[in-house]
Amino acid sequence: MSCSIPGMEDAGCIFLFGYNPADSHPIVARRIVRAKEKGCKIIVADPRHIETARIADLYLPIKNGCNVAFLNAFANCLVNDGLYDKEFVAEHTNGFDEWWETIKNYTPESVQDITGVEPALIHQAAEMYATANPSAIIGWGMGVCQQKQNLKTVHTIASIACVAGQIGKPNSGLAPVRGQNNVQGSCDMGMLPNLYPGYQKVTDPAVRAKFAKAWGVPEEKLPLEEGYKLTDLGHLVDEGKVHCFYNYGEDPVQTEPDSAGMRKTLSELDLFICQDIFMTQTTMLADVILPATSWGEHEGVFTASDRSFQHFDAAVPPKGECRHDWEIFADLSTRMGYPMHYDNTEQIWNECISLCPNFVGATYEKMAPEGGYAQWPVKSTDVNDHGTADMFAGGKFTTKDGRANLMAHDWEAPSELPDDEYPLILCTVREVGHYSCRSMTGNCKTLALLADEPGFVRMNPADAQARGIKNGNIVSIHSRRGQVYSRADVSDRINKGTVYMTYQWWIGKCNELTMHKVDPVSHTPEDKFSACQVDAIADQVWAEGEVERQYTELKQALVDAAAPQDVEPGAAKFDDETHVNQIV
Amino acid sequence: MEKHKVICPYCGAGCQFNLLVQNGQVVGTEPLNGITNQGELCLKGMSGYDFINDTKILTPRVLHPMIRRTKGADLERVSWDEALDFTASKMQAIIDEYGPNAVMTTGSSRGGGNEANYVMQKFTRACIGTHSVDNCART
Repeated sequence: MSCSIPGMEDAGCIFLFGYNPADSHPIVARRIVRAKEKGCKIIVADPRHIETARIADLYLPIKNGCNVAFLNAFANCLVNDGLYDKEFVAEHTNGFDEWWETIKNYTPESVQDITGVEPALIHQAAEMYATANPSAIIGWGMGVCQQKQNLKTVHTIASIACVAGQIGKPNSGLAPVRGQNNVQGSCDMGMLPNLYPGYQKVTDPAVRAKFAKAWGVPEEKLPLEEGYKLTDLGHLVDEGKVHCFYNYGEDPVQTEPDSAGMRKTLSELDLFICQDIFMTQTTMLADVILPATSWGEHEGVFTASDRSFQHFDAAVPPKGECRHDWEIFADLSTRMGYPMHYDNTEQIWNECISLCPNFVGATYEKMAPEGGYAQWPVKSTDVNDHGTADMFAGGKFTTKDGRANLMAHDWEAPSELPDDEYPLILCTVREVGHYSCRSMTGNCKTLALLADEPGFVRMNPADAQARGIKNGNIVSIHSRRGQVYSRADVSDRINKGTVYMTYQWWIGKCNELTMHKVDPVSHTPEDKFSACQVDAIADQVWAEGEVERQYTELKQALVDAAAPQDVEPGAAKFDDETHVNQIV
Repeated sequence: MEKHKVICPYCGAGCQFNLLVQNGQVVGTEPLNGITNQGELCLKGMSGYDFINDTKILTPRVLHPMIRRTKGADLERVSWDEALDFTASKMQAIIDEYGPNAVMTTGSSRGGGNEANYVMQKFTRACIGTHSVDNCART
C-alpha cells in the first residue's frame, strides 16, 4: 500500500475495485465506514453487491473478467472529460502520449458490452475520483490479482492514480490490501526468486557482493540469475528440473488451483519436506514432516499490508517436540555444511535490517510496547520515528528518474469462457469466519460452529431456479478439472451467470474445479474466472449423507496420517518376519 | 491470568491484541490499541485462538518429527537428530546429482514471522545456492 490503513479514514474518496473488505479485512472495512461518516465518497465496482456497495455513493455492477476494459474506460473519462491533473502528469510522469494511444480507444460507450456498465456511471465515477478532496485512494484485492491480466490491471490502476494526481500526497494512492497476515512480510524478507530481503535484486552484482560478504559465502555461491516461481512447480517437476520441495507453512493442495494436479506433482518429487503445525492434506503427502511451533508459541515480527512492522510475543511454551522454524532451518543448514547460529529472533532481525536500507530503523525497541510499530521505509533508529505512512511524497517515485512510467494495455478476454457444457463462471472468494486453508480457524470452536462443510456456493435466484435448486440445498458443481458438493446460498446480491465459492472448504473444495492458468509475468493463477456447471440433486437426504461421509473419511485420514507420531522411536520396531510370527 | 501481546495471524490488517493464558492454555483475547485496529477486533481476531491448544476439531497438530524411509513407506516417528540428518543427506544427494536449482523452498506468509522467513531464504541462498524460494503471494 502506498498509504496507511489508519489514513484511509481521511481520504476524500475511496474507490474499491475487486475488493470486498467486509469479508477479507473487517477492520479495514470499518475504516471505510468511518471514512464515509467523515464525508468520504465511496465508489464500489464489483460484480457482486458486496457489503460496502450498500454504503457506496456509486455502485458499478461490472461483469466478471472486464477489468482492463473497465479501467481503460475510466482512464479515458479522466482525459476526455477534462478531469486529469496536467501539472502532475507533466512534472511526475513519463509516457503520457503513448499511454493515451491505447486509452483513447476505450470510451465507456465502446466497451459497454464488456463492462456491462452504463457509460454515465463510469463518467460519474471518474469525476468523483478525480475531483476528490483532499485525496483519493484506489483499494483492490484478489478481484484484480487473480485474473488473467492481473499485472496489467495493476499497471492500469497505478497509471490512473498518476494521471488523476491522486498519489504522492497524504492518504492517497494505492491500497492493495494483502490477504494473509504476513504476505507483505514474506515479500519484505525476500521470499521471492528475484529479490533478496528489502526488495534488492538478485541480478544486481553489487547487491550480491553485499549479501555474500555479510553471509560469509563466495559470490559465486549466490547466482545472478533468478530462481523458479512456486506456481511453476508442476511443470518443473514434470520436466525433471526440480526434485526436492521444502514446503514451509503452506497448504498448496488446498490453496492452489487444480488440486488434483498439485497432488500429482507432490507425489512425483524425490523428496518432499513439510514443516507445519498441522496434519493437512499437504502434510500427509510428505516424506519428511518437521513439527514447528505455532503462532502463540514463538515471538517475531509481522508486516501488515500498509508496511507496518509489529512485534508479537510468545504466550505459551512449545507443544511436544515442536521447534521454532528458524531453529530448524539453522540446524539443517549447519548439518549441510553452512553453519548458522542465532540465540533469539532479535539477533536475526538485527542482521536482516542491517542489510536492508529501508528497514534499518525498525528496531525491536520501537515495536515492543503496546501500539508500537515501525512502517517502512524507516531509516532512523530514533524511537519516536515510526517511519513512513505515505509513500512517494511530492510525486517522487522509486524509479531511476523519480518519475512514474505510465502504462496502458489492451483488454483480453479471460482464458476459459463459459460454453454450453459449462455455462456458469466460477469465481473464488473469501468469507469472514474462516481463513485460508482453514487448518487454523477450522480448529477453533466458535468459528467451526459458525460455518462448516461443505461451505457454500453462492448464486443468483435466476440461475438457481433454472436448475431447480432451492436455497440451502446440497448441489453438485463440476468443471473440466473435477467435481465437488457444496451448499447453495441463493441471493440476489450475486450477479446472474456467476457462482462464488470460498476456498476454505475441504469437501466443498473450489480448487478441485479451478484451473492452473497463470499470468505470464507474475505467474499468479486466474482463480477468479473459470467455467463450471451446477446441478441440483434430487435426493437431498442422500446428498447430506454423502457430504458427511466424505468429511468423516477425510478427517479420519488426517488422524490416521498423524497417528505414527504417538509411537516413540524404537517402540514398534520389528521386521516383517517377526510381525508375521506374532500374528501367527 | 497471563497476558501476552500478539499481532493477529489472519488477515493483513495487523491488529494487536493480548492472548489470555490460564494453566498453559490460551483461553481468550483482549484487543489492544494497535496502530491499525485501535482497540477493535473482528470475529476471527476475537475467536480464532484455540487452535493453538490442539483441539483436534478438524485435524491434529503435528508434535514429533516423522519420516518415510523410502518413497511410499509409512510415516515413522524419529528423533530430531535423525529427521534432520535424513533430510540433509537426501537433499545433499539431490544437489550433488542435479545441482542447487533442483531444490525449491517456500516462505510462509502466515504464523512463522519475518525472522523465520529471513533464515529460510538465507538457508536457500547461502547453503543450497539457489534463489528458488517463493511464497503464496501469487495465490
